[in-house]
Amino acid sequence: MRISHSIALLSGVFGFALAAPAAHAADPIKIGVIAETSAISGVGIPNGAKMAAEEINKAGGINGRMIEIVDYDDHNSASDAVRAFQRAAQQDKVAAVIASYISEVVLALEPWAGRLKMPMITPGAASNEITKRVHDDYDHMKYVFHGYLASTQIADVVCEASKTLMVNDLHMKTAVVMSEDAAWTIPLDEEYLKCLPAGGLKVVDHIRLSPDTTDFTPIFNKVEGEKPDVIVTGISHVGVQPTVQWQQQQVPMPMYGVSSQATNSTFWKDTNGAADGVIFNMVSAPDVAVTPKTIPFAKTYQAKYGNLPGYAAYTSYDDVYMWAEAIRKAGSTDPDKIVEAMEKTDHVGTIGRIAFLPKGDTFAHGMRIGEGYITGLMVQWQKGNPVTVWPANVATGKMIFPAFTKLPQ
Amino acid sequence: MLALQILIDGFAISSLYALGATGFTLIFGVSGVLNLSHGAIMVVAAVIAWWVAGTFGAGPYLGALAGVAASLACAFFTYRVIVRPIQNSPSIPREEKEIFVLTGTLLWGIMLQEAVAYLFTNNPKTVRPLVEGVVMILGVRTPLNEILTAVLSWAAIGLLYLLVNRTRTGKSLLAASMNPRGLTLLGFELSRIYVLVWAIYGVLAGIAGVLLGAFLGVSSDNAGTLTASAFSIVVLGGLGSVSGSLMAAYVVGYLETMTAYLISPSIRTVPVLLLLVAVVYVRPQGLLGRR
Amino acid sequence: MFRSRTFQIVVPALVVMALLPLGVSGYILGLLTLAYYYAVFAMSWDLLFGFAGEVNFGPSFLIGVGAYTAALLNHYWLWPIPPCLAAGAVAAVVAGAVLAVPALRLTGPYFGLVTLVAVLLLQNVLVLFAGITGGEIGLDLPDVLSIDDNTNYYYALSFMTVSGAILYGLSRSPVGLILQASGQDAIEAAALGFNVAKHKLAAFCISAFFSGLAGAMLIFYLGTASVGTVVDIAVGVNVIIAAVLGGRRTIIGAAVGSIFLIAAGEVLRPLGQLSTFVVSAVALIVILFFPGGFMGRLLQAGGRE
Repeated sequence: MRISHSIALLSGVFGFALAAPAAHAADPIKIGVIAETSAISGVGIPNGAKMAAEEINKAGGINGRMIEIVDYDDHNSASDAVRAFQRAAQQDKVAAVIASYISEVVLALEPWAGRLKMPMITPGAASNEITKRVHDDYDHMKYVFHGYLASTQIADVVCEASKTLMVNDLHMKTAVVMSEDAAWTIPLDEEYLKCLPAGGLKVVDHIRLSPDTTDFTPIFNKVEGEKPDVIVTGISHVGVQPTVQWQQQQVPMPMYGVSSQATNSTFWKDTNGAADGVIFNMVSAPDVAVTPKTIPFAKTYQAKYGNLPGYAAYTSYDDVYMWAEAIRKAGSTDPDKIVEAMEKTDHVGTIGRIAFLPKGDTFAHGMRIGEGYITGLMVQWQKGNPVTVWPANVATGKMIFPAFTKLPQ
Repeated sequence: MLALQILIDGFAISSLYALGATGFTLIFGVSGVLNLSHGAIMVVAAVIAWWVAGTFGAGPYLGALAGVAASLACAFFTYRVIVRPIQNSPSIPREEKEIFVLTGTLLWGIMLQEAVAYLFTNNPKTVRPLVEGVVMILGVRTPLNEILTAVLSWAAIGLLYLLVNRTRTGKSLLAASMNPRGLTLLGFELSRIYVLVWAIYGVLAGIAGVLLGAFLGVSSDNAGTLTASAFSIVVLGGLGSVSGSLMAAYVVGYLETMTAYLISPSIRTVPVLLLLVAVVYVRPQGLLGRR
Repeated sequence: MFRSRTFQIVVPALVVMALLPLGVSGYILGLLTLAYYYAVFAMSWDLLFGFAGEVNFGPSFLIGVGAYTAALLNHYWLWPIPPCLAAGAVAAVVAGAVLAVPALRLTGPYFGLVTLVAVLLLQNVLVLFAGITGGEIGLDLPDVLSIDDNTNYYYALSFMTVSGAILYGLSRSPVGLILQASGQDAIEAAALGFNVAKHKLAAFCISAFFSGLAGAMLIFYLGTASVGTVVDIAVGVNVIIAAVLGGRRTIIGAAVGSIFLIAAGEVLRPLGQLSTFVVSAVALIVILFFPGGFMGRLLQAGGRE
């Protein structure tokens, strides 16, 4: 979901774990992991994957064969990722790949998954394009699975939650959509503009801002002039800055929606507490028993790596389990058979019950969302802690807003 | 109402731009150096202020002081370790000094930026403002911090003006920018003047960085943009002309603010870039530059 | 010429490079493939800077225009690769000329700033028209040069060798000497009767041609074009560092610098995020203590050519 910042410098290129691929009696099954390992949220991808592999190996592996995670650092750059992918497929001979949370990187890898017939899943990218390509050109692109919500699906989760939180509980009627001008927000905004009104929030304005914006004063003033009840956000490249300026200017309407930077555990400190009251979307949180696996995973992860897992660590952990299951069912590492088995996945992971949509669906090979599958969460920063406020069955608290917020009577 | 809003918001951001560009242009005026580590030095000031104020619980004032001190240290280092050796190096031909200074300061800027990203991550940080709360100015709700930013920026620029025009040392600075050779003939040591200029620069960049961190927030990724924006303002105003830079800062600040209010926030910086290209082509010496 | 020191260094090096696929893993080849394309970027930049004396802060403007022209034609109209490459190179030359004709009247920092602004504008345009260009997430290409490591490696190596030979030859030709003279003292060169502006414009267009072509080749190697890979300021910064590090005004040095940057990045990989810091520090030390760069040092050690 994060978009690539200025890419890693050329010099920072090429990180590969030089895992020596010695041949053993029972050859291990290799799974490649491509991610930006110098970022806190990026390193969660190999970390989560390794945890899952260890657990599976402890329980006897896949039909007696161990899983080996081979990880590659892509420095957040599409060109590094492509090379890592080529190496994984052609030299290290992995059976499947788990790759990146950056749409730019995943979309660059996708055609290569088709060309090299290499099953691949992304634990965190959000572009709609990922599944659209599978839908449009199934025969070539069927090797790609989307292990995270697409932009449109994220918008649906935000809208679904807004029916309860905004319309029902707070009696809100109007909203302004505020998104950064980027490829991932195009489908997000399109869906917002459809599903918010359907849920009872009239969209009075739709503002797209440059991802380079540092001064948000004009934007907030404009929004305020339109007197909406809530600001629905779609931001990822920016986050700390609009939040701080929202608080300093005491903009009287709540910020609610997608704010990727708010999912960082350091967000409170980075904003000096200006985050108080901000509501944002997540798929899983460390204190919420989305499934029985969520909390144990978060605890073990923290004990092992010293910090809480980022969102892509949960999905990456689940992805290894799903690949292992698919390989077991397929009975071989033949890519076509793995894909066929993966399509039948019905796995209760840390983020919910995961099943993939069939090839005829618009989101072919995307995750099924909704009641009983992946529902997503809405979380609010409250006095230094993220508190889950939706859905009601897993909520750990009620919404609280800072004093300057004016809620409709 | 809208006009008033544009007037107030544009003023704060423009003042900050002005302060950021003043030091940059001063160095160019006096020693002919374009310091491409400028943005990184501002980032260091802001992040150190955030760190000292937040992590040590030292409070905003001590934090701000630490930020300015860090910036001063970086400025000295830039001059002593990078700029001066290149200027004195016998093996670099005179006409190539400029590119070496540019490349050297650029690399140094990248090092600072990477060091900040490594030690404090590249997440944006915000310095806790010295004052919180809002006031109403003719019906426009304005954060006190925004007013303070403008006031402090102008106070710093005002002090610089007094220093340059009212003190002997300051006047020697001015003279150095006009005719360095003449000054040495009069018995002034040029190198001491350069050190002084870099010290003033360090303080100005530090204040600008801390204010920026408190007003808008700053991330190590912003270093390049900050340098580019100071560079643009300075060229627009006329390289080396402090009053030109001040004026250009307001042109840029208001143009950006008006674009965001009246056209669309998604093309905020585009009109400025176009104006810049136009000015450079039509009047390369800038608004108030001498040639 | 065949006796020259440059020749004695370059030819054996090329032979070794051509034999590498026999003994080196596909991974290293992939590394070098990228380095060779960067080498062309850096050599083109050196022609403009080292010889014409113009500091182009926006090499990635030319690279980006070439790359995106090729990418759009391939993505939307499914043009085959060769015409896409040609179109990319031509587009870069046109864009370069449009930029250079007025910009070359400017000198020093002004020229630098205009070239820098060109990159920022291009970046803005690509993001604003995200619907067509794919914005920051980029554009995928239906076609790629090859999916085989060795083939890709030889494409890149031959491309670098040919481009390098042309650029080097040009720099040693009378035209190169005039460029050098106008770079060092434009007024004197003009007084001698040379049309400085025309020569500089020619240098800019040649630089643009190779930058654009290399940009287009690079994206067909990667199979994707994105702001981060071909337009970002960071790409340009690397090109400049590589050229200065390798030894400006040598052409060959720019290639050496590029390969060094890539290799250093790989060797320093265990440092993680700090690797960029260390590479910058090394480059800074070279600039401070050996301003001639690697090649300057090497060539000087054996006396003048």
